[in-house]
Amino acid sequence: MKKFFALLKVSVQSMLLSSTNSRGNSRKKAATGVGAMVLIAFLGLYMSGFYSFMLMDVLAPIHMESLVFIFMGMGALVGGLMFTAFAVKGVVFGGRDNDLLLSMPVSTTALMASRVMAIYLENLLFSLFVLAPAGAVCAFMTQSGVGHSVLFWARLLLAVFALPLLDTALSVLLGALVAFLSAKVSRGALGQNIVMALYLAAVFWFSFNLNGMIEELAANAMGVKESLSWAAPMLWMADGIMGDWGRLLAFAACCIVPFALVVFGLGKVYRQAVTAFAARSARSDYKLSAQAASGQTKALLMKEARRFFGTPMYFWNSGLGLIMLLAAGVAALVMRDDLRMYLDLLEGVPVMPLAALVMGFCLSMTVIAAPSVSLEGKYLWILREAPVGESALIWIKTGFQLLLSVPCTVIAGVCLAIALGLSLPDGAAMLLAMLLFGLGHAAFGMLIGLTFPKLDAVNETVVVKQSLAVCLGMFVPMGALGMCALLYWLGGMVSGALALALPIALLAAWGAACALILLKKGPAMLRSL
Amino acid sequence: MLRIEHYSKTYPGGKKAVDDLTLHVRPGEIYGFIGHNGAGKTTTLRAVAGVMDFTEGTIAIDGHDIKKDPVGAKRVTAFLPDNPDLYEFMKGIDYLNFIADLYDIPADQRTADIGKYGDAFELTGSLGSPIGSYSHGMRQKLALISAFIRRPRLLILDEPFVGLDPSASHLMKGYLADLCRGGSAVFFSTHVLEVAEKLCHQIAIIKDGRLVKCGPTEALVGDSSLEDVFLELEGEK
Repeated sequence: MKKFFALLKVSVQSMLLSSTNSRGNSRKKAATGVGAMVLIAFLGLYMSGFYSFMLMDVLAPIHMESLVFIFMGMGALVGGLMFTAFAVKGVVFGGRDNDLLLSMPVSTTALMASRVMAIYLENLLFSLFVLAPAGAVCAFMTQSGVGHSVLFWARLLLAVFALPLLDTALSVLLGALVAFLSAKVSRGALGQNIVMALYLAAVFWFSFNLNGMIEELAANAMGVKESLSWAAPMLWMADGIMGDWGRLLAFAACCIVPFALVVFGLGKVYRQAVTAFAARSARSDYKLSAQAASGQTKALLMKEARRFFGTPMYFWNSGLGLIMLLAAGVAALVMRDDLRMYLDLLEGVPVMPLAALVMGFCLSMTVIAAPSVSLEGKYLWILREAPVGESALIWIKTGFQLLLSVPCTVIAGVCLAIALGLSLPDGAAMLLAMLLFGLGHAAFGMLIGLTFPKLDAVNETVVVKQSLAVCLGMFVPMGALGMCALLYWLGGMVSGALALALPIALLAAWGAACALILLKKGPAMLRSL
Repeated sequence: MLRIEHYSKTYPGGKKAVDDLTLHVRPGEIYGFIGHNGAGKTTTLRAVAGVMDFTEGTIAIDGHDIKKDPVGAKRVTAFLPDNPDLYEFMKGIDYLNFIADLYDIPADQRTADIGKYGDAFELTGSLGSPIGSYSHGMRQKLALISAFIRRPRLLILDEPFVGLDPSASHLMKGYLADLCRGGSAVFFSTHVLEVAEKLCHQIAIIKDGRLVKCGPTEALVGDSSLEDVFLELEGEK
């Protein structure tokens, strides 16, 4: 047990340090790590609190509070899976310290368990940030008094600790599949991309169905609950939290048993699994033919493209926003009649700013430039010894994000403008605003990547999913969107033209400021890494 | 070819890694740089390659000041760190083309040189595989090929023999000599004193960041061996 806790301490320390930057003293590192955690906690609490409130408002009067916990439990499960499933390949199976730790006199099950526990702790945070606000909302809004007892909180706490066990077991299994595919399929990245695409398609399908169910809640809450019988553990969890101890224990067993099976089952073959997943032998049948030459800029851009499309973790985490942007644009165009009918119901809601916000939200999730410096990590020497100036490197990394985001923005913008029947000036204003936002976002991402580098990350998962630069690169632009919405509202009090001009001016100023700082300070920042 | 004048490197906190180092490498010379672990060898090589900034002094390669004209200096240089990490998401051939593009190497020249060095180091057949699947030695060979295809005026190597099999080491020594015959220079660090003694025209010994001895190998070693000279200077004999 002592050895297990020593290993667990290493895993947790590694996880906690993963969101810090690689420069600065330990106090600064701790501050950035805590800052990132607070940011994620705040967002989790806010989003869960908001949705729980909306649901409870409908369900509390009909004493169906348990449905809130079912939906929040599903949200925590799916969110946790999305957050950790692709981290498993790096954290559990692909650690750089595998050789070191496997050579030590520790059982492979203990080693595997210590790493799985690090994943569990991440899922636990997710579970806590989603279920705790639901509990608080329930305590305030319930009309049956169910949230007012200490036992309610004890049951909720049990659910908070149990749910991540199930999440972790599923994450580890999916992560093992991804690691297996990347080792055994000759085009490993392609195999991983296919798994991730199928997984995301399932998540989106589930989310859309969930949305439909939520819409039905007010009319037929009991029917919705009965239709969720396929998610029995979630029903047991919700009924358990509401007071049914038997169902709560059944739910806990549903979480503990798969977790134990995964840990002890995979633990027994952990050494074999790690060896098999790491075994990649080079072929020896390549025939050299005439090579073609290209310039420095193309070579550097191609390198960025190879990394982006060849690293599934990077592609799906940083490129998902662009996929959503294109999907939103095309879907709006295809289903424009339904969309217009739906928008007609929202009388008084300005359509163009709403569309711009949706586009901006998708673009905010496109964090390609921010982690690109940290992803150089141990390879940075290659660029440093190359005869290329620092400013060229910076603009190529920034430009690569723009190379992908600008065409997607134009396509989605035109599709949305047609689908929503926007006038030419409105469509042009929306497109201009989003292009400026995209420019500012890319330049800001690069700047934040240089400010909070994570060059010593153990794998790309840590950089792409957990680094402070990525968190800030995503959420600060979302804040800028909020500012734009505020300016639109304030400007609208004076005139329609001012309502459009103010957000565009803000975005232009933001983009110009980021580009200027990058131009002046960027090369020195890159040199000092 | 390489002029290091009064070069010093001070780390945050005041520790001097290298103190007032002056050293000249002429065209056609293989220059060995030896010293204990932590003596300042890698720090010096990284500064010469333009990979690391430094506090005092000047470093010029083929007339290009590494601080004032870093791109010009790097264009005529190839640097190989002791444990070269290469892009694992690229295939070997993609990496060589990437480097060739950065150095503006014409298509026919790169094809010929990749074939020549790839065949010699028995790596051509594996160039179509991802670097992630390479062994340590294969990565080392790929990094060496990427350096040789640049036809550098100055080749900087940090512990180049680590990880290479005996035949690859032998080949590399031959190519280093070829490079020098063509008027280029090689500046490398090593702990393998026998190799340094046989291969180098000039040797510099660094201790605690300060140059303690340098000169032609024969003059430095005399009737003794480089190992004896080194241990004597280090106060271990």
